[in-house]
Order: sequence, then C-alpha cells, then structure tokens
Amino acid sequence: MTQRRLAVAHSAQGPPMPASDTASHRAGSPRPPHPLEIAAALCAGSLLTLMLLSNGMMAAHTTPVFASLTAHGVGSVVAALLLGLFWMRRPSAQRGQPRRRAPLWAYLGGVSGALTVVLSTVVVNSSLALTGTLALGLAGQVVLALIFDITGALGLEKRMPRRNDLLALAAIVAGTLLIIFARGSGQ
Amino acid sequence: MIFLICLGVASGMLVTLSRQLNGRLALTTSAMQSSFWNHLVGFVVLVPCALIAGSLWPETAASAPIFAWAGGAIGVIFVASGSWLIPRLGAALTGGLLVAGQMLSSVSLDLLRSEGGVLWMQIAGVALILLGVWLSRRR
Repeated sequence: MTQRRLAVAHSAQGPPMPASDTASHRAGSPRPPHPLEIAAALCAGSLLTLMLLSNGMMAAHTTPVFASLTAHGVGSVVAALLLGLFWMRRPSAQRGQPRRRAPLWAYLGGVSGALTVVLSTVVVNSSLALTGTLALGLAGQVVLALIFDITGALGLEKRMPRRNDLLALAAIVAGTLLIIFARGSGQ
Repeated sequence: MIFLICLGVASGMLVTLSRQLNGRLALTTSAMQSSFWNHLVGFVVLVPCALIAGSLWPETAASAPIFAWAGGAIGVIFVASGSWLIPRLGAALTGGLLVAGQMLSSVSLDLLRSEGGVLWMQIAGVALILLGVWLSRRR
C-alpha cells in the first residue's frame, strides 16, 4: 500500500519496529493506537470488501479455486511491479545494503492464505452457508489472534490485551455478528 | 456437522496465521515484500489445486468482467497493510479493526445498492462497531 510512506513517517515514534531482528518478547503495555493506524486499518478493511466482491465475481464466472489462483497471480505481478518501482526510487547508495534474513517459515503466509480459500469454499457450500462460514471464521480469527498476542508466537511482540482492547474487540465482534445475521435472515 | 464447524473455525484461524507470518516477514524485509511473497507462494500452491479441481484456464474465464481481475491488485495493498499494522497494533486489534472496516464498508455498499437485510440489525451492528473502534483508542 502507499502505507509504505506512512510506515517511514511513522517509524520514528512507533515502538514495535524492532531494531533487533529477533523480535523482542517484552510483555510491555503498548501505547494506544495512533488515529492514522486506525484509519489505515479501516480503509484496508474496506479494500477487503472490494476484493471479495471482485474475487466473488470471478468465482461466479469460473470456479473458486481459479478465482483465487488468478487473484494470487495478478497480485504477484502487481506486487513485483510496485517493488521494482520502490527499488528504482531508492538512492543507489542504499541498494547494496546487506540484507537481513527472515526465517524460511516466515515465507509461508501464502500457503495458509491459499488453504483458507479451499477450506472456506467447502464450508460455504455446506449446510452452514455463507452466514455460518462468516460467523465461524470470525470466531477462529479472533481466538487465534488473542492466543498469538498473549504468547507472542511466531516472532511478533508479546502483548497482553488490556480491558479496553477486549471490550473493543467484543463490541466489534458483536456488531459484526449482528450484520452477518441481518443479511442471512433478510434473504 | 461438527466437522464442518471445525473447518469453518479453522478457515478463520488460517487468516490470522497468514497475517502473523506475513507480519513476521515484514519485520525483516518490508510490508510490500511480505505481500509479494504471500501472493507468489500462494500462487505456486494453488496451481496444483487448480489442476486437480479442473483446469488452469476454464473456458469461461475470458468472459469475466475486468473488475473480476482486479481482486489480486487490491489484495496486494490489503496484505501489505496487514503486515504493516500487526507489529504496531497486535494480532487481535489488527484483525478486529480490519473486520470493522470490512463490515462498515459492506453495509454502506448494501444500502447503496439497496440490497436486503434487516435494517435495525444492520444499524445496531454499525453502532456497536463504531463503539468498538472508539473504545480501542481509550486507555
């Protein structure tokens, strides 16, 4: 995203861009989210709506697996072009900087992303239908995210959710469930 | 049925897992690089899936509207944002706010296209989500 520019502007004050590569496992109490971060997350979430609309349209014309395949293919090309653009705009002095290495497993995010497509396609075509798939998927997302935050698994910072974090999450989940079921019962 | 419910929950967990892995990759590289690898690796995994499921190029693909091809480009920005956000906000709040944005936009879209749904439930849902977003700022 153009988030990259935000990232640069923000990293001066944002704490968890760790200088050390092995992310720190401090159970610190994080600062409240910056309004910019909240706005970025809400905008990214609305991009997801557009993306699902687009991929759904492709799935309707072909198959869900083909829709995901083309989305990942087009995405690879677009991301490569954007990376090339960033690379060219970098001052040439910085280009030869030694690279820090990420563990190989960190490259596997795409595998679980691709698997999501397959699983959710199975569930959506079952008796659980779209409403059930969305609601259960939401539950799975939130539970695992809380486990990751509490344990600091997979090398990201450990953070204990505070009371207001949990309240915020609960309100968002409750509102989301209402909207999902509003749609399910309205048709 | 129990099996299907587990599958549904698992598909949500995979979303979180993917975001966590991409976020970890972005720590050492950049958000855009994590998005690139996410899409490329996903593509490589999906090629055999597509071959098993049918063909790499269904005949109807050519007739799909242009917008149906845009999902991948939008996804690049979406994954990069997630990778940028997750070290800053943590997995739970990142996921929550992304879902909040998704729901607010899809309700607006539903209303614009005047598609069905129980209106009071949608309004109450939006109010709860806005409350949640406001709470996330409070300490």
